[in-house]
Amino acid sequence: MANGRLEKLLNRFADVRGHEAHAALYLSGFFFLITFSFYIVKPVKESFLIGLVNPAWWPYADLATALLIGFVVALNARLLNRLPRRTYISVSILFFIGCLLVFWYAFDVYLKSLVSTPVADSSGGIFFVWLPLTIMRAWPVPVFVFCFWSDVFIAMSVTQFWIAVNDVFDPYQGKRLVGLFVTGGLFGGIAGSSLAALMVFAKLISAGNLLLVCPVILALALVMVNRVYAEQKQLRGAAEAEVNPVQAGARVGYLESFLSVKRSRYLRLLAATLASAMVVGSLINFQFKFAVRRIFTAADDRTLFLAMFFLAILVVSTIFHLATTRRVLRTFGIRWALLVAPALLLVGSLAVFLVSAGALLAWASLIRGGDKLFDNTLSQSVRELLYIPVPADIKYKAKIFIDMFVNKFATGLGAGLYLVLYWLSGFAYKDDVAKVREIGILVVVFLCLWIALTRAVYAEYPAVLKKDIRRRWDEGDKIVSANVDVDLTRDVFDALQSRERSTTLYLMNVFDLVRKNNLTPELKEVLGIKQDELRARSMDSLFDVGGEVLFQSLDEAIVDKDFASEIDLIFLLPSYQEVMEKRLAEDAGSASEVDRIDAAKLIGLMVRSPETLRYLERFLQDPSPEVVTYALRSAAVHRRAEHVPLILLQLGNPLTALEAQGTLTDYGPGIEEELKSALGDESEALEVRRSIPVVLARFGTQRSADILLDELARRREDVEPELIDALYKIRADRPEVRFRDKKVRPEILFLIGKGYAIVLDAPGRAPGGAPAGLTSEAKAALDIKVKRVFDLMTLLHPPEDIVKACQNILQGTRKSVDYSLSLLDDLLDYELKALLFPLIEDLPPEERALRMKKAMRLK
Amino acid sequence: MLIKTRESNNVVIFDIEGEIRRSESMQTTLHNLVKSHLDRGTRNVLLNLEGVEFIDSFGVGEILASYISTQNLGGKLKLCRISKKLLLIFQITMLTKVLDIQEDCEGALESFDKA
Repeated sequence: MANGRLEKLLNRFADVRGHEAHAALYLSGFFFLITFSFYIVKPVKESFLIGLVNPAWWPYADLATALLIGFVVALNARLLNRLPRRTYISVSILFFIGCLLVFWYAFDVYLKSLVSTPVADSSGGIFFVWLPLTIMRAWPVPVFVFCFWSDVFIAMSVTQFWIAVNDVFDPYQGKRLVGLFVTGGLFGGIAGSSLAALMVFAKLISAGNLLLVCPVILALALVMVNRVYAEQKQLRGAAEAEVNPVQAGARVGYLESFLSVKRSRYLRLLAATLASAMVVGSLINFQFKFAVRRIFTAADDRTLFLAMFFLAILVVSTIFHLATTRRVLRTFGIRWALLVAPALLLVGSLAVFLVSAGALLAWASLIRGGDKLFDNTLSQSVRELLYIPVPADIKYKAKIFIDMFVNKFATGLGAGLYLVLYWLSGFAYKDDVAKVREIGILVVVFLCLWIALTRAVYAEYPAVLKKDIRRRWDEGDKIVSANVDVDLTRDVFDALQSRERSTTLYLMNVFDLVRKNNLTPELKEVLGIKQDELRARSMDSLFDVGGEVLFQSLDEAIVDKDFASEIDLIFLLPSYQEVMEKRLAEDAGSASEVDRIDAAKLIGLMVRSPETLRYLERFLQDPSPEVVTYALRSAAVHRRAEHVPLILLQLGNPLTALEAQGTLTDYGPGIEEELKSALGDESEALEVRRSIPVVLARFGTQRSADILLDELARRREDVEPELIDALYKIRADRPEVRFRDKKVRPEILFLIGKGYAIVLDAPGRAPGGAPAGLTSEAKAALDIKVKRVFDLMTLLHPPEDIVKACQNILQGTRKSVDYSLSLLDDLLDYELKALLFPLIEDLPPEERALRMKKAMRLK
Repeated sequence: MLIKTRESNNVVIFDIEGEIRRSESMQTTLHNLVKSHLDRGTRNVLLNLEGVEFIDSFGVGEILASYISTQNLGGKLKLCRISKKLLLIFQITMLTKVLDIQEDCEGALESFDKA
C-alpha cells in the first residue's frame, strides 16, 4: 500500500506520518500476533491450573515465578548482549515455538494417557517409551513449568517488542505511535481469546491442541519483525541499522541489569512504581477470586464467567484505549496520565468498605476490570513513554530487569502479602466479604504508595529528558560580556584614534584608562606611550598648577597611586573651573571639530555648572557625530533631565545610537516614563523607538518590563523584534521580574498566527490547491518568527528549557528535534501545544496546512 | 567606507575597504547590513578586513553588534586578513577571545564548513 493511503488508515489510531507508516504497521502487527498467541496460551494455562492444582497452592505459582524469573533475566540479558538485535528477537521467537511444541506433546501424552510399549533392542525406541512415562510420573510438574514458561513468554515477548520500538523510533515518534501499538496488542488479545473460546466452545479443537495454533502465529510474528529491521537497514544504511548488541563494551549480565537500575534514581523510582502497581494488581486479583468463588460454585459456570469477563475486559480496553488514551496523553501529558489509574483505583478500592455483600461480585468485577483496563491501555502507554528519555544502552539493561524481574517479583510479593495476611488474620475462619475487605486495606496502602511514587517519577522525568538536549549556542552578548571589557575596548580605540588627532584629547583618554587601572604594559606599548611624547605640552594649560609642570613623565606618574586623586582634585579647583569655562566658550564656537571634541570631553571631567551644562546642550546638537559622541559621554556623567530629549534624538542616528543608548542607561530607571512616551509616540523617528527597548532591558525593572509588554500589546510590527529581544533579555538577566500569563499569552498566540500566515500564504500555491513548500526566504522569515515565539515563551516557562528546545528545533538533529518536542510536550499547556506544534513540527506542506487550519478553529 | 558583498558556499562575505569609523559617511551601517542578511536566512558571515586601514570605537561596536546578532541566531561571524597592528589591539582588548580571526579568507571559508 502506498505510504499516503496507509498513513491515512493508520491515522485513525494514532498520529502516523508517511515515512514511518510501514514500520509502524509491521510493529503493530508484531504486537498483535504476540498478544494473539498469549491469549490462546492463557486460557490453557488457567484451565490446567484450576483443574489440576489445589487453590490453596495458587499463590505459590506466582511466588515460584518471582523466584525463578531472575535466572531468565540473566539469560536474556546475556543474549541481548551477544546477539545483534534482529537475531536476538528471531532466536527467541524460534525458541518459544519449539517450547510450545514440547508442551503440546507433554499435555497430549497426559491427556491421552498414551504409553508406548518398550522395545528392548532399540535405543530410539527406549526414548519414546521413557519420555511419556517420565511425563506421567512428574505430573503436575509440567503444569507448573508451563505456567512459569507462559509468564516468561509474555514478559520476554513484550519486552522485545518495546525494544524493537525503541530501535526503530525516536522518543517523539514513540509518543505519537504508542496508541497504535497498544491498539494492535488489544486487538491481538481479543482475537486470541475469541478464537480460543470459539474453538473450544464449538468443540473444534481440545484445550491442549490450541497450543498448536500458536507456533503458526509466532512464525508470522517472526516474519513481521524481520521485515521491520530489514526496512530500517535499507532506510538508514547497513552500518547504522545493524542495531547494537547493546553498546559495545557494555557487558550486560543479570548483575549489570540490576546495577543499571540501582545506579539511577529515576530507574529505581520507575521500578518501584511498577512494583507497587503490580502488588496492587496481585492483591485485587485475590479479592476478585474470593468474590467469584462466593457466587460461582460450579466449575463450568465459573469458567464461563471468567472467559466472558476477560473477553469483556479486552473489548472495553480497546474501546477505552481508542477513545481516551491518545486524547488523555495529548491533552494532559504524561504528568496527569500517570495519575489516572492509581487515583481511580483508590476511589474504587475505598468503596469496598461501603458495598453490601450482594454487590461484592459487581464491585470486584469493576475494580479488577478497571485494574486490567488501565494496565492494558493508559498505564502501559505511559510506562513505555517513561523509558524513552533513558539513554539507549542503560534502557535495554534496565528494561529487562524492570519489566521481567521486578514485574514478576512484585506479583510474587503480592502473593506473599496475601499469604501473610491469610495466616495472621485467620482467613480460614472468616467469610469471603471480610477477607476481601481486609485485603482491601493492603490495596489502599499500596495505591497510596503508587501515587506517591508516580509523583516522584514525574518530578525526575523532565530532568532525564533534558539530558539529551543541549544548548547549541550561547547568546552573543553573554559571550562578549564574559570575555571582553567593552568599556575598556572603547577607551583603547578612542585613545588610539585621538593620538592622531589632538594631544589633549589623547591624554584625557589615556587618563580615563589610568583612572580605571586599565593601562597595562602591553597597552602602553600599543599606545606608544613614551617619555618624550608624554610631556604634557598641550596639557600645560590644563594641569599646570602654579607654573609647575605636573608631569615630567606619564610613565612615572601612572605608577603613582595618588595620581588619579591628584587629577581629580585639580578638576575641583574653582580657578580651574574658571579657566576652563573660558576655554569652553572658545572651543564651543570653534570651526575645528577637534576643538569641539576636546571641549565636549572636558565637560565630563568638570564640575557641573549652568554654564557647562549649556555648552553640553550645544554639543549634544553638534553636526559632528564625533563631537556628539563625546558630549553623550559627558551627559552620562552629569545626567541632567533637560538633556534627555536631545539624547533621545541621537538614538535616531546610527552613528551615535549605541553611545546614546549607553548614556540613557547611565541615567537609570528614573527616565522610564520619558522612554515610555517616546516609545509609544508614532510621530517619533522609527530608529529612536527601536533603540529604546534596549535601554529599558538594561534597566531590567518590573516597570520597564511592563512598559515593553504594554507596547507589544499594541502590535506594531515595526518595533516588535526590539520589544521581544528586550523582554527576553530582562527574563534572562532578571529572574525576579514577573510576567503575567494573561498579558504574555495573547502575544504569543498572535505571533504564532503570524507564523501561520507565512506558511499558508506561501507563494506557489494554486487557489484551493495543495500548498507548496516554503521558499528559502519564507523559511528564513518563519525561523525568525518561531524564534520570537520561543523568546516570548521564556517569559512564562523555564527560559533554559525553552531556549534549548528552540535552538534544537531550528538547527538540531532529527533526534534532538524530537527530544525538544517531547520537552515542549511536557512543558506547555494543551492550547499552546495545539497551536505551536503545527508551526515547528517537520510536516509535509499539505499536512502542515491542514493542521494549522484545524488549530485555528480550536483557537 | 565601502562594503562589497559576495557569497560563497553559504557564507556571505563582506569585503570592507577604507575606515570603519564614526565620521565616515555611509548609507547603512555594517551591523544593519549584517542584520538584513540574517533576516534573509544567512547564518555564516565573513568580514574581509584586508582593505581596512583604521577602526575606531564605533567600528568595533559595529563588529561586536554584528557578532552578537549572528551568534544569537546560531550563526558564525569570522574576520579575515586583519592588519597585524589591529590584531595586536584586538588581542590586548581580548576581542580575539570572542571573534574568530583567520589569517586568510580561504581558510576562514573552509573553517565554516568544519564547524
